[in-house]
Amino acid sequence: MGVTILVPYPLDNKKTGPEVVEELSKRLLAMQATQTGHFLVDGDVFESSFNKTKIHVMHNSEYPASVFSILDNGQKQIPLITDLIFDLLMLKVNPIYASRKQLKIESKGPRFELGDFLVKLGSVTMSQSQTFKGLLIEVDYRPCLIPIICWELIREFLQGFLGQYSPTTIPVYFTNSVPNPHHPVPYQKSNDTYQPIDTVQQYLEHFNNYRKQTIALMMGPNK
Amino acid sequence: MTSENQPIAAMDSLLQASKVNIIPNQEYLLQGSILDVQVQRLLHRLKGLCDNVETAPEQFHDYEACFSLRNIADEQAIHTAPLLLRVRRSNDPADSHMPWQLRYVGNPELGDTKRPTLVRSCFDISCSPSIMEFLTEMGCRLEFEYTVRGYLFRKGRMKITVSKIFRPMNQEPLSGSYLVELSLLAPVGADAVAEDMRVFAEKLKPLVILEKIDHRRIAPN
Amino acid sequence: MQREEKQLEMFLDNSLSKLKDLKIAIGQMIQKIEFEHETINWPTFLDNFALISSHLAGLSKMLSLEYTPPIRNLTVLPLNLSPDVDERLVQATEGRLPIFAAEIVPDYLRTKPDPSAENRMNLHEAKANAITNEAASKQVAQFNKIVSHVFDLISKSRDEWEMESLHRNVRTETCNQGDTQTLVKAIALGIGLKTNSPMMMQQPRGVPGQVPVQMGSPGIQPMQLGKMPSSIKTNIKSAQLHPYR
Repeated sequence: MGVTILVPYPLDNKKTGPEVVEELSKRLLAMQATQTGHFLVDGDVFESSFNKTKIHVMHNSEYPASVFSILDNGQKQIPLITDLIFDLLMLKVNPIYASRKQLKIESKGPRFELGDFLVKLGSVTMSQSQTFKGLLIEVDYRPCLIPIICWELIREFLQGFLGQYSPTTIPVYFTNSVPNPHHPVPYQKSNDTYQPIDTVQQYLEHFNNYRKQTIALMMGPNK
Repeated sequence: MTSENQPIAAMDSLLQASKVNIIPNQEYLLQGSILDVQVQRLLHRLKGLCDNVETAPEQFHDYEACFSLRNIADEQAIHTAPLLLRVRRSNDPADSHMPWQLRYVGNPELGDTKRPTLVRSCFDISCSPSIMEFLTEMGCRLEFEYTVRGYLFRKGRMKITVSKIFRPMNQEPLSGSYLVELSLLAPVGADAVAEDMRVFAEKLKPLVILEKIDHRRIAPN
Repeated sequence: MQREEKQLEMFLDNSLSKLKDLKIAIGQMIQKIEFEHETINWPTFLDNFALISSHLAGLSKMLSLEYTPPIRNLTVLPLNLSPDVDERLVQATEGRLPIFAAEIVPDYLRTKPDPSAENRMNLHEAKANAITNEAASKQVAQFNKIVSHVFDLISKSRDEWEMESLHRNVRTETCNQGDTQTLVKAIALGIGLKTNSPMMMQQPRGVPGQVPVQMGSPGIQPMQLGKMPSSIKTNIKSAQLHPYR
């Protein structure tokens, strides 16, 4: 556990995804990081047959016994954390909620440890054809649980190995105001205790962006 | 980068596990009841028969809600039985940190009179408390709810509950008897356990008659 | 005369074979005790014992039969006493008795009790005769009283025990099929639990008395479903004093 910041790594046309991963891996190893296996985050979309409600069912290899589901009805998102068997239940819910296989996304790649930091270099691929979509860099600062407290430290660390591509502000996910069920004043995620579902929600935001791009591309030439 | 220790997608490993029948997704069940005035005798006997001798009986006080999910887009599906999902949580403040339970129960398998117990597919899923809102937003309808107070015993892999069902709003008991359930979760093909259950049920006679009860047969259609 | 002799011979043959059986049974028992005294269990021990006693019973039954010749009237005479080892005797007795001499004959051919035992019996008889009739009847009465008292105690507790088990059998009413059905129906299908109200959890649902509208009769269920909400609405409007709000 800790605070995780997920940043997309912009690709110019000079280098391919695997080349960038290779380069960043070398850089991390040069910084005395050790590679500790691989990671995988995946996301399936189940769509209602009668309204626009979507259920995102996601897995994170960092939490191998859990399924993170996020229900999105267009107005609000409801997160749900369950056992793995929830996946089997989703098969039962078909066809009321049907899996959109074309929208399945995963991000996978090497996982590094460097002191208190965890770094994961994820190559994002979509649908069964495994089309490459981009790179997502995950940095996890483990001793801290409140994002706002350690953001500066993470930013500095990111700058250390991403250079010009490093973000300068904390991701929007942390600054959006969230309605507080126990209090009239909304709060921001950056002040709240970080939880595993927050990592998954960050991934979901990026996954959804990739999905939108793909759909726009598919629709574009047709029109 | 080596690919040998690539994590396998969770869904793939789950499907694999389900293929080789190691996921306990079958519930073997016998049901019966005992009059309130006789329940102490039953508890006494169970205490002698079951495993957790020192701690028995374990008490519980739960809330359960049953949701139904129908395919309203499909005209014909309206007449078919809806998918039933049950949510259960402890009412005991000491258990507030415990996960809630989401439970899917399939229809009982029919046509097998030789089998000593009812068998039905069943998923028991631990989940976060957001499940109620999640299901409601999913389009599930709350069908009914109740609270249940009772005692839990274990014998090997068997679970025995002796519980009183209450209507949720006025905490009025539903009947003058305790519901007695003997159940076991096992993977597909573990039919030998049903025989163990029959033998155990035999030991509770004539205090309690545990039977396989097909809910559909007693249902008013 | 000849017939009687034949009868006697037959009888002796029979007795001998019976005695042999008895001997074998006793021998086996002794062997068991000698060699298996660590592993033998009660059931097998008692089985062996029963075998011996059945042989004995058979023997005494044969003796008491009517056509048995009165062996009581026969005499056994030691014809040849010798202090030397008699090989044939050793063989006949399986090595138990090597010599048939004067000092052991009384033991083996005895038909009266041992003299010391006889003395003790005489002593007891004398003592019994010394008691006066009155004292004896008093003692008998006392003894009878004690025995009957013990008998009362035993029969009383037996009655109690039988009553209890009888009572237990009578009181089989520990479970009720109807209740089982009610409970199973409730948790499986919500029958008897459904609120008939479209409103969900935590919301008050009418007056408590109205709630358990038993959906016993399935035919009218939809009608009730349709009817209920209106009455609930009025209830909620009118009832700030409602106990469940």
